[in-house]
Amino acid sequence: MAGLTITGLHKRYGGFHALKGIDLTIQDGSFAVFVGPSGCGKSTLLRSIAGLEDVDEGKIAIGGEDVTDLRPRDRDIAMVFQNYALYPYLTVFENIAFGLRSRKFPETEIRRRVGEAAEILGITALLDRLPRHLSGGQRQRVAIGRAIVRQAKLFLFDEPLSNLDAKLRDEMRGEIKRLHKEIGKTMVYVTHDQVEAMTLADRIMLLRDGRIEQEGAPLDLFERPSTGFVASFLGSPTINLIPGRLVTRSGRSAVVLDTGESLDLPAQRAKLDDGERPILLGIRPQYLTRAAGTLAAGHARIEANADLIQPTGTRTFVTSHIGGVAVTAELAAHDVDNSEGRIAYALDMARAILIDPSTDKVI
Amino acid sequence: MTARYNRLSTLIDRNFGRIAAAPAIAVLLAVSLFPLIYTIVVSFQNLTMLDSDTSFQGFMHYRAALFDTRLWAALGHTTLILVIALPLEIILGYVLARLFLEQLPGRQVFVALLVLPTVLSPIVAGATWRLMFDVRFGPVGQIVSWLVGEPVTMLWTVNPTLVYPAILICEVWQWTPFMFLLLLAALSNVDQGQLEAAELDGASGWRVFSKIILPAIRPVLVIAILIRGLDIFRIFDVIWVLTEGGPGTMTETLSIFTYQIGFVQFDTSYTAAISIMVVLALTIALTWALRRVEALK
Repeated sequence: MAGLTITGLHKRYGGFHALKGIDLTIQDGSFAVFVGPSGCGKSTLLRSIAGLEDVDEGKIAIGGEDVTDLRPRDRDIAMVFQNYALYPYLTVFENIAFGLRSRKFPETEIRRRVGEAAEILGITALLDRLPRHLSGGQRQRVAIGRAIVRQAKLFLFDEPLSNLDAKLRDEMRGEIKRLHKEIGKTMVYVTHDQVEAMTLADRIMLLRDGRIEQEGAPLDLFERPSTGFVASFLGSPTINLIPGRLVTRSGRSAVVLDTGESLDLPAQRAKLDDGERPILLGIRPQYLTRAAGTLAAGHARIEANADLIQPTGTRTFVTSHIGGVAVTAELAAHDVDNSEGRIAYALDMARAILIDPSTDKVI
Repeated sequence: MTARYNRLSTLIDRNFGRIAAAPAIAVLLAVSLFPLIYTIVVSFQNLTMLDSDTSFQGFMHYRAALFDTRLWAALGHTTLILVIALPLEIILGYVLARLFLEQLPGRQVFVALLVLPTVLSPIVAGATWRLMFDVRFGPVGQIVSWLVGEPVTMLWTVNPTLVYPAILICEVWQWTPFMFLLLLAALSNVDQGQLEAAELDGASGWRVFSKIILPAIRPVLVIAILIRGLDIFRIFDVIWVLTEGGPGTMTETLSIFTYQIGFVQFDTSYTAAISIMVVLALTIALTWALRRVEALK
């Protein structure tokens, strides 16, 4: 068993409090992703797990063993770095074999393991080359090869795909996921890209300002964010946040936008207490559809001008002004005509996320 | 008319670089190639203080040089200083650079202080050390006496067992900072990620040094060795101030020997022959070394 447990972790750089009490558990064999905007502490957290950063408080345990005071080399960890950190004067073979040679593995075992790793990653033909003669994607594979050949307990990835172009990134993302299935080790992955986080993770830890803002399965975080920050971080295009007031009268609730339109909430989402309060109505672009004839249950209708129409082939993004802010709707391509002026939208109010603007909490 | 004018202007355009460089090349040839050729010519004549015999003497001086034990001894002294001082400067410079790689408070001030000796003129450094080593007034003797607990008389610039240590101390003191500075720059360019990867890979200190650090700093290191090697090969000032090549000819290096016979004994043609031989030997050694450097890339 090689799960990861972190309790009460703090890290300070002089006056800057980078990690403010991290508690987390990652199950053995799972794929966890730390995601968040730059400066949120996700890389620091990963480097602390590796032992490349000293921590000020707290404990880190790998497979039940406390490694907080162990040197990086003694933690049985393999890591893939953002800039690959390949050894430039060694061939691909020697790069991958470096850790094994350092740990005095017998030559035949080194050959077997490097051969296997190269096979898995499809880089057998490159073994005699130097890193500088490889493309970005090939270097990435070598870096991964160097990590897997050691058969460490825990794999760490520090934004490994951020230096690749978009197409290669998609391809390597798939490979990393496949690799995880194949070798079944615990993997911790850091990224600022929410698409990578969503597609790769069994479990996402979303960080903000040195704290875990929310953690859970990708779709849980997507559908049930605990704060406005989580809601706007995940999802592309970004969730629409429309200012308004939540008004409850005799057991029925509605969101009244600043521009006056009233959008009824379905009965099961009604708030009990009569009254009203300011609110941000969070609605994802894919839950704005075209209103046709009668509205489906739980939907509210609103009309707006189509200010900007951006077809992408499969989907078309339409931007309109609703409630005084720019709102994006993601519509099926054949639903929209490029020259359209006014569009009637159906908002799926059952999926709406209501955020208290003063605390950023979802209510 | 216009056609001819155009031809001329394209000619100038095409060769503009060469035309612009011509004056500089002329000056360079005048100040370096001419003296070289003149020296070669003189080395085949027999000019001395008393005699200006310009007739062709063949390889007389070259043959004499090959059998001149004082010349070979001077070469030996130079080599001795080279093989001790150069590795010491590299090792000490490297160790210092590693120490200063960390972000210490006041790092810049310490680096500046450390580099001071290199900024001094070698003759000043030599004179300073001569005072430091002085038997009656120098602090070195005093400190040693204090450490030993009884008065010790150390004739640093006269005692045969102490002259080389004195020269080496002065030389290493002055030029270690140069190595330190170059190696500090080279070391700060070593990729931090590679070192971290090696740590996670469990590599030993020696493995990290030989497989990651050394290859990364090799270009700078080779250039530093070439510069300092050549510098030490022509070492003069420090020894001149400390011992003038003495006692006897015990610390006479190639430069001092050449100076003695050229400008004290005015054995001009013989000096020219020795200079040419040294230039030839150095050219061959340097060409070989630079080829090796190229091959590394």
